[in-house]
Amino acid sequence: MEAPPVTVMPVTGGTINMMEYLLQGSVLDQALESLLHRLRGLCDNMEPETFTDHELVYLLKGQQGNPFILRARRSLSHPTAPWHLRYLGQPEVGDKSRHALVRNCVDVAASHSLPEFLNEMGFRMDHEFVANGHVFRKGAMKVVVTKLSRILVPGNTENTERLSLSYLVELSVLAPAGQDTVSEDMRSFAEQLKPLVHLEKIDPSKQRH
Amino acid sequence: MQQREEKQLEASVESLISRVAHVKNALHGFIYKLENEYERLTWPSVLDNFALLSGQLNTINKLLKNEKTPSFRSQVIIPLLLNPDRDEDLAKLTEQRVPVFSHEIVPDYLRTKPDPEVEEQEKQLSAEAARIGPEVAQKQIQTLNKLCSNLLEKLNNPRDDRDAESAALRQNKPSFNPADTNALVGAVAFGKGLSKCRPPGPVAPGHPGQGPMMSGGPTLQQVTIGGGSGQQAGMGGPVAPQQQGQPGKMPSSIKTNIKSASGSMHPYNR
Repeated sequence: MEAPPVTVMPVTGGTINMMEYLLQGSVLDQALESLLHRLRGLCDNMEPETFTDHELVYLLKGQQGNPFILRARRSLSHPTAPWHLRYLGQPEVGDKSRHALVRNCVDVAASHSLPEFLNEMGFRMDHEFVANGHVFRKGAMKVVVTKLSRILVPGNTENTERLSLSYLVELSVLAPAGQDTVSEDMRSFAEQLKPLVHLEKIDPSKQRH
Repeated sequence: MQQREEKQLEASVESLISRVAHVKNALHGFIYKLENEYERLTWPSVLDNFALLSGQLNTINKLLKNEKTPSFRSQVIIPLLLNPDRDEDLAKLTEQRVPVFSHEIVPDYLRTKPDPEVEEQEKQLSAEAARIGPEVAQKQIQTLNKLCSNLLEKLNNPRDDRDAESAALRQNKPSFNPADTNALVGAVAFGKGLSKCRPPGPVAPGHPGQGPMMSGGPTLQQVTIGGGSGQQAGMGGPVAPQQQGQPGKMPSSIKTNIKSASGSMHPYNR
């Protein structure tokens, strides 16, 4: 149930297929302050933006092996804001020299009846977590520093426990397919964050085992 | 002879006036930028402005040191007529900064000696210098020279030496843990450590409690334990039908967990 690769699909109209370019790393709690200072200096000048989100990951098991995954996210700090539904495809296995992880990405906003709707459609919630942290922006690049927490009682976002003593740092860009200059820019930005954080292309399938 | 000197004086004053006008314009633009475009200003552009001013001041210095420039110190400016009334021509000439050529402006604009406070400080410093005696002064000069040359040497030396020391220092405080990176990426990508049937996988460091004794059927168990902190301990008991659908591998892990749970006697066992 994966979307076919971009080059095969004819562009008949509607939205452009967006790809997400991603680099990930982590930073320990004690180095968080210095990382935030550095990001505040490097990124665009704006008010520091914090967020608290609750993300639920839904799976749809088809006849084939790979389940179809959808991610539903809502803001706990802005409860009336719409839900955000995201589909992330498999990482594109292009040339190994590309510096960032590239995958197909579809984002839509949804109303608050999203979880029931997905359940009715046949999706089942696989896992959920609470993410809070800071967002920075530099041009088209977005840097997110997140603290992930496990939800102990399903549906209860108050009772959480931290997953690890580190913060996850992600550098991402949403761009139409085929723009490889984006990964160059991302790599030079990632250089500026060394040695505090090593942002690199981490293949999620390798982490499974 | 006289005429040549006069001509030189005039020429140097003209060039001095034009250089000072450049500095004034640069300052004007810089102040305007600072006051009005405050949000959009970046540090490199502020540095550019400062560099421009410093360059212009340098040119003025060079101009004054030029041998063609007669010594301005030997010239004297004497006000011939002081008038407390407003002078329109003067006001226009000075862009409204000096509207009246009166007694008040003379001490400021025609000053040749330093300000009284500055004069006081200079007198104190010279008295201090005379007091300490020549040998002590010489020793102080030598220490200062040594410090400066040490610093210059450190700055001019090849970067490799410096980087090696600083890199060694920084090794002691790593700011990230690659194992944590993998754990977090796994959690975000497919719920490693998060989903219902948590595999005995990455355990967050520093968490008190036993090793990973996870099991399936946490929904019911969590309710009974009351969502306690720390990890869920292994438990046996019936794995009741789940509220949500499970991924295909669930059945096998349930069997395994029941096996392992019977081996351990856990106080929270149902």
